Amino acid sequence: MSGADTATTPQSRPSVGVALKFVPLRVEVNPLTGMVSADDRLAGASPADEAALEYGLRFAEAWGWDLLVASAGDHRCEPMLRAAMAAGANAAIRVVLPTDTAAPVVAAALAEALGDCLVLLCGDYSLDRGTGSVPAYLAAQLGAAQALGLVSVAAVGEGTVEGERRLDGGRRERLRIPAPAVLSVEAGVRLRRAPLPAVLRARSAPLQVLPTPVPYAIDPAAGTRRPYRPRPKALPSPAATMSARDRVLMLTGALSERRTPAAVRTNDPVQAADIVLTFLRERGYIS
Amino acid sequence: MPDVAVKPTTGDTTGGSRDGTPPAAFDAIVVGAGPAGAAAALTLARAGKSVALLERGIFPGAKNMYGGVVYGRVLDHLVPNWWQDVPYQRWVSRRATMLMTPTQSLTIDYRSDRWIEAPYNGMTAYRADFDAWLAAKAEEAGATLVCSTTATSLLRGADGRIRGVSTDRPDGDLTARVVIACDGVNSFLAKSAGLYQAFDPSNFTVAVKEVLRLPREVIDERCRLTGDEGLDIEIVGCTAGIPGGGFFYTNRDSVAVGIVVSVIGLAAARVRPEKLLADLKKHPSIAPLVRDGELLEYSAHTIPEGGYDVMPELVGDRLLIAGDAAAMCLAAGIWLEGVNFAIGSGAAAGEAAAEALDQGDASVAALAGYRRRIEANFVLADHRKFRRVPHLIMSERVQRQYPPFVCDIVEKMFTVDNPTPKLGLRRWANDARRTHGVRLRDLLRDGAVGLRSFG
Repeated sequence: MSGADTATTPQSRPSVGVALKFVPLRVEVNPLTGMVSADDRLAGASPADEAALEYGLRFAEAWGWDLLVASAGDHRCEPMLRAAMAAGANAAIRVVLPTDTAAPVVAAALAEALGDCLVLLCGDYSLDRGTGSVPAYLAAQLGAAQALGLVSVAAVGEGTVEGERRLDGGRRERLRIPAPAVLSVEAGVRLRRAPLPAVLRARSAPLQVLPTPVPYAIDPAAGTRRPYRPRPKALPSPAATMSARDRVLMLTGALSERRTPAAVRTNDPVQAADIVLTFLRERGYIS
Repeated sequence: MPDVAVKPTTGDTTGGSRDGTPPAAFDAIVVGAGPAGAAAALTLARAGKSVALLERGIFPGAKNMYGGVVYGRVLDHLVPNWWQDVPYQRWVSRRATMLMTPTQSLTIDYRSDRWIEAPYNGMTAYRADFDAWLAAKAEEAGATLVCSTTATSLLRGADGRIRGVSTDRPDGDLTARVVIACDGVNSFLAKSAGLYQAFDPSNFTVAVKEVLRLPREVIDERCRLTGDEGLDIEIVGCTAGIPGGGFFYTNRDSVAVGIVVSVIGLAAARVRPEKLLADLKKHPSIAPLVRDGELLEYSAHTIPEGGYDVMPELVGDRLLIAGDAAAMCLAAGIWLEGVNFAIGSGAAAGEAAAEALDQGDASVAALAGYRRRIEANFVLADHRKFRRVPHLIMSERVQRQYPPFVCDIVEKMFTVDNPTPKLGLRRWANDARRTHGVRLRDLLRDGAVGLRSFG
């Protein structure tokens, strides 16, 4: 659908928003060249995004609110948005953005699309090496509370949800989150199966297309994600007088004695802090 | 049926309000977006009918494996100049038939320049690409493609007549004036409609295939190919005496190697199919072709190889069946074809259904145009002509006796063991006959069957 084909987003009722990302669900890596190829036919919303959509549908049903879904990307994400509409979303919005746009830009685009939603849900992080930062940026953009990486969420009162989050040691914490809030959820809950009439209707349902947000449209380099490169580790040059073997040993660290990584294994904060400080002092980071 | 945003039906005198039932949502439902289903949907959509094309995979072709060659000329009238955008892997320039024993092989290998120029002869293709391409043509023509949706049963009205299909989705009943079942070799719709009199496992084979990645230049070098040229080898005698055969063919940067064996024979022999495939890959004539290949896909599929004599009723009241669902696979030794018969039967089913819909009657009599069409073209003509061949190919003699018999004769012809003088073809043939228990009258009878069928 072109940008001219827009539909009015329902505004009469409060709404829940769900942000989805179109990601490859299966990739192939050529072992000879390292080239990664993905098939768009096997791409769509990740299981975590689908869980977010399912929770969104439950909240909208429980509170009698509308459900909006949005995605930032090119035309390839439209079948995913239509599938969300078939599952029960009232409207879908696509913000035109190139693939691999940086998280702050994506968050700004989604904030524009879903800014009126009182509760926003996302998957915890996208499968294509995402960092899970979009929900946090989104919460910052909207000035909303954020509860990220939730294992499960449930509606309590209207506009209020209760979520559970993992803690170290297998423990969980329970949060009560009032709107406005941005929640990100782990995969786990399966998205409901869309009814057949809804699938047929969604094929031709209007889809709102928003242009690329202006501040980013004029600066295509802004926030462009570069290929992943590990952070370089600076090493002093070996002395020229050393033998080739010693230079290699020095640069690689081979045969040098290493201490096993230290682990803090105490629940006492004071004792834990002492262990960390002693460790840093021994290595000369603090005096 | 709730309202749906699709093209309105072109009339509703069948399956609709005349008998008090709600109007049908579609003129036709085609179940299965394989080659048969896509061709049927394409034909119906072009005839101006509203048609739903149901596919259980997440996209057309997602559920398919492939072990052969697509002969595309059947597409000439459906998709003019189809070769310009069809997602092919290679154009088959070399066709070979190999007779094999564990230590011998005899290959008849034919190559033609005419097969690598338009309109081409055969192509290797990934079914996931090919099926999606053909289904997209149907969608472009106006068909409504619905994926991830399985038709679970036929939907019948109070009068017992077919009104559409039920699917595995919530509110999944979908009504139409005619249903075309292209739901594959295990067609539950054709069985539930009673079109299969008996379902005999001896009419089916199971194919097991590996797709192995190899660099394109390695494939070209090993198979003596250049550019987009491809090789297809059909093999007899590679299945440890179990009725069946093998195949090897080239894709762009992968090769496929596999076996096809009788389901009954496999069960009786108590051999795992992967063992047969591993043995084929180790055979000295195949091993150099697949060496160092990286396994990309391992898959298995059932094939209806019974031929003309085991085909079900093709037409029911408001129901047609086409493709593998109708057992339209030609397994006649040197010809192993399925996709072209699926497309041919699917297109004919679409045309016949459109004609019946125009008449406002989708009864068995009104849909009889389907059988007339495929009787008149290659679909049933070829199956009828080669109806005896599947039994011959799967016979004990062809599977166990003839490959070593022929290989021994050829070996003796080309073995120079002086000072012994050359004994002559008749002597070699008689020796080989005695060694392998081949009776002259069987040889003559099978030769006569072959001549009658292939002649």
